[in-house]
Amino acid sequence: MKAKPKTRIKTGLEKSIGENSVFYPYLYLLPYALFFLIFWVYPLFDGFYVSLCRYDFAETQRTFIAFKHYISLPFDPLFRASFINTFIFVLETTPLIIGVGLAFALLLNLSFLKGKTVLRVLLISPFMLSIAAVCMTWEWILGSQFGLLNYYFSQLRLPTQTWLLEKGWSLFAVVLTTLWWTVGFNTILFLAGLQEIPDVLHEAAKIDGAGRWSNFWYITLPCLRPVLLFIIVMQIIASFKIFGQVFIMTGGGPAESSRVMVQHIYETGFQYYRMGEASAIAWVLFVIIMVFTLAQFKVLSKQTIEY
Amino acid sequence: MVKRNLIKKINLGVISALIFAFALIWFSPILWMVSTSLKPEKYTIEWPIHWIPRSVTLENYYSVIFESVINIFRPFFNSLFIASAVIVLTLLTSSLAAYAFSQLRFKGQNVLFFLVISTLMIPEEVLLVPRYLLLYKLQMINSYNALILPMVASPFGIFLLRQFFLGIPRDLQDAARIDGCSKFRIYYQIILPLSKPALAALAIFTFLANWNSFTWPLIAIDSIELMTVPIFLATFHAFGVIMWGRLMAAVSCVTLPILIFFCIAQRGIIKGITLTGLKG
Repeated sequence: MKAKPKTRIKTGLEKSIGENSVFYPYLYLLPYALFFLIFWVYPLFDGFYVSLCRYDFAETQRTFIAFKHYISLPFDPLFRASFINTFIFVLETTPLIIGVGLAFALLLNLSFLKGKTVLRVLLISPFMLSIAAVCMTWEWILGSQFGLLNYYFSQLRLPTQTWLLEKGWSLFAVVLTTLWWTVGFNTILFLAGLQEIPDVLHEAAKIDGAGRWSNFWYITLPCLRPVLLFIIVMQIIASFKIFGQVFIMTGGGPAESSRVMVQHIYETGFQYYRMGEASAIAWVLFVIIMVFTLAQFKVLSKQTIEY
Repeated sequence: MVKRNLIKKINLGVISALIFAFALIWFSPILWMVSTSLKPEKYTIEWPIHWIPRSVTLENYYSVIFESVINIFRPFFNSLFIASAVIVLTLLTSSLAAYAFSQLRFKGQNVLFFLVISTLMIPEEVLLVPRYLLLYKLQMINSYNALILPMVASPFGIFLLRQFFLGIPRDLQDAARIDGCSKFRIYYQIILPLSKPALAALAIFTFLANWNSFTWPLIAIDSIELMTVPIFLATFHAFGVIMWGRLMAAVSCVTLPILIFFCIAQRGIIKGITLTGLKG
């Protein structure tokens, strides 16, 4: 007869959640799961349900009205304005921020340039600043009466503008502010992408007689493709969520010409307390963003690059 | 040949100078901000403009820091406190869960991980209304909790850390196991110390997200004591008559520390963003 292996007598607790129990790994998930269930999963479902209800905060009763909010949204001129402006903003910022970001990264990657640490601080650092600090500084610069920009415009005998108070200019002023503020982030990503391209490729192209331009067009750009695609989609998603800049700098004006979707959510929900409608608008935004995200996953899963 | 080299050198010099000039112009809004903050109020609005103040004064800073009804200290402290609390809680909960997802085996592992990751697609804007309703029910609106707790369980942290943990060679853990090391000890004595770059990256990313957070604090907070920096500045600015000297002093107060931090930690920050942005 074999001797029983000596084991420590296990307490009940150790048996149920000790290292060898099936429940043990879940202990590690527990703290995260608590936060996740309470502040992500539950609100997600509750938010969708609220969007199907008439629910004005003052009342405590939710009245189920199915998709009425969604159906009436397209007929709301304020929603239409915010929807269109958001798309304009996305269309303007995406190529601008990505183009300038790439240009900055190419500059910072020039081999003959000295003092790159300083250059990096000058070009990239604005993205670290607080959104309100950026907006306030630019409001001061774009000010109609004593603004810096108008001063130089008048020096150059160009027509001065009331940038933030003019229908055609206010949204564009927000676009420029956003460019200045966020371009550094994309620059960093592009720079990382550029540095991963093996030098051999450029040298081989040089030997084959490629100039700077064809080197960029046929070597650099194709190698950057994965980074580029990633940045494009991230930028589009970020641009759809524009709010703070508009809220601080223009308040959506003049005459709703710079009103955007998140602002519409904010005002409907938290100034007029129409929670149901606000949630419906948020879900429309969500669906738009989801389409772009899924497109990203589709595109990115196909990207492989071989040197 | 010597001449051609010289011409090339001059060319490159000119190009470099142009690039630096452009970079300086790009940076000039920050210089203008500081310049305005140092001017006496009556000189802030004058044409022609003076980049270098004709007389330098610190009265704007004095007023913003000591005199105003609401001074800059409280919001600055609030923002730092909230960001730090979120960072600590995020690193703790995410690293524990990421450890389970990457190193342990359990039922439903893949399904649960997929569930967490699929929330990466959800813009937080869609959660504004229901989170507000939830916190209202819990009577947490207008408290630090309202600004800290909802920000903790971001799916991004788990994703990033799990990827990183998977890359840690298993030999180390196997050796530790043979020596009788418990799983929890492997987590905090092997996995965590080896993951410093990923943890630092997540910390920086979390800090930036919370430091710049605007929409949620705007909704969740309405008392002066709990204002974060962005909300404070926005309120300061909405007070009617704008005193640009004061406002720019307030803006400088919250901007300069961050700029100095960026100058010092440049390499780390850039590395962190590359790690979170591209690999994440």
